[in-house]
Amino acid sequence: MDMVTAAKVFSDIGWGLFHYIIFYPPVYQFIIIPGLVAALVVVVFMIWFERKAAARVQMRYGPLEISPRTGGAPQLIADLIRYTVQELIIPSAADFFAFIVAPNAMLILSLLPMVAVPMTSISEYWPIPMGYSLLIAVALSTLAPIFTVVMAWASNNKFSVLGGVRESFIIVAYELIAVISLLSVVPLLHTFNLVDIVNYQMSGIWLGLLNPIALLDLFIAILMSTSGFPFEIPDSETELVAGPFTEYSGLIYGINMGGGYIRRWAFSVLMTLVFLGGWAPYRPGPGILLGYFVPSLIVVVKATIVMAIMSFLRAVYGRYRLDQALSLAWEVLIPLAFAAFGISVAEAFFGVHP
Amino acid sequence: MPAKPEIKKVPRATFLGRAIAGNIGALTLGVKYFFDPNRITLLYPHEYIKLKQGYRGYIVLIFDKCISCESCARICPAKAMKMVSVNVKDKKLNKVMKKKYPVINYNRCIFCGLCVDVCPTEALYHVPYHDLVYLNMNDMILNLEQFQEQPEFVTSKEGVPVTYVFDEKRGLVKVRADESVKQEGQTGQASGGENK
Repeated sequence: MDMVTAAKVFSDIGWGLFHYIIFYPPVYQFIIIPGLVAALVVVVFMIWFERKAAARVQMRYGPLEISPRTGGAPQLIADLIRYTVQELIIPSAADFFAFIVAPNAMLILSLLPMVAVPMTSISEYWPIPMGYSLLIAVALSTLAPIFTVVMAWASNNKFSVLGGVRESFIIVAYELIAVISLLSVVPLLHTFNLVDIVNYQMSGIWLGLLNPIALLDLFIAILMSTSGFPFEIPDSETELVAGPFTEYSGLIYGINMGGGYIRRWAFSVLMTLVFLGGWAPYRPGPGILLGYFVPSLIVVVKATIVMAIMSFLRAVYGRYRLDQALSLAWEVLIPLAFAAFGISVAEAFFGVHP
Repeated sequence: MPAKPEIKKVPRATFLGRAIAGNIGALTLGVKYFFDPNRITLLYPHEYIKLKQGYRGYIVLIFDKCISCESCARICPAKAMKMVSVNVKDKKLNKVMKKKYPVINYNRCIFCGLCVDVCPTEALYHVPYHDLVYLNMNDMILNLEQFQEQPEFVTSKEGVPVTYVFDEKRGLVKVRADESVKQEGQTGQASGGENK
């Protein structure tokens, strides 16, 4: 029997910590890639890109003065520090517990779908069994917006309540479109398994090409339901001060502001896997590097490009009124989503799928 | 009876046509500007608009031309210009005499330029810049010596002079001042050739 030394015990604990907690796929996917760390890096880059792209189109410079050579990139770090050290004011009329808990719950719940998506086709590195992963991911992605309404109600402010009502209107309309569009690939491939869906796209035929209407519908639904900048109907600055986030300040406001982007990131990863081929041109090889990190990086890059396109739209489109957005959803996009579902059924019937 | 406004008829009259054409048009324009930006923001301390001669900036006195007629002080609508008596040695008569000269108070001056216009001997002139900083209000009341020297143009030391020219394809464009002079010279030559 080996000698039990303190060094060996610590090294064993360290190995166990790395193997069973940090590199345990559900935890790893939630915390690092494509979860919290990757999302934060992408969000910081994306806010900078959004400001620069909008500025280019609108004949301005955007953030520049802090470091002209890099195009003002440290501006975002400065903003982050500013939000971190700003005073946190909690109004006395607010519901303290819900006021504090709801933003954090929203942040965590918007990252939850990341636990249900595969980053590789090797079953050793799947976070959960992949049988119904698409259904689980879609179901988890619809949890977060409830907490925006909770935030609005806990703030005890009329602007917040108006923003919360708008949020609920928008979510009811556009989450439905997103869910139907994502699930419209199911009748085509007869599976909820995301790995099977990506493996089918290895042939070069992405599902976005087979069913472009579903892709377009999902794209618009993500834009609207995550209330990103061109369509920030719940927190429109010109009408409601900041919508559900009116009473928030400091770090929690930063979390709220990033929360929409993180939900958008989660949807972008799902959209990449389902419609844009996931890690498609690349076949995962043996080993953790070729089998896990490289395909996950490919997915991250694709999702970042999707998010960049969404951010670019800020410069082009104006904001819809609430009634316009809702009529667009119920009169145009939901029929289109059902049409996309029908296209999938027809393609399955006429034997497009293998 | 009010005139009937004419509604411009668009060929893409259907809803679907309008939606598709409008979206594609907006997106193409956005992508065009994204890859070929036309930035017109003036980065002020690093760039400044080069103003043409004749701009009504700060006013400078040429001491030797002044004939003490007081026209500038009389016409000044803001009463910024006042005359002061100074002992001057007259060269012809070879004796010291009292003479009046204008001084200016930039707290009151509205840069209307009437004093420069009215001066019969052109003893006053404008400099083509206006971006100066005084540390306190007393410094803005100039005495006779300060009124005779051109104020220091600090912005031109580090800044790049730019002008805005109208380009037929791109609209208003910001260019460096020396380049715009070249362009204007070329177009002037070309138009001159056409006139001949």
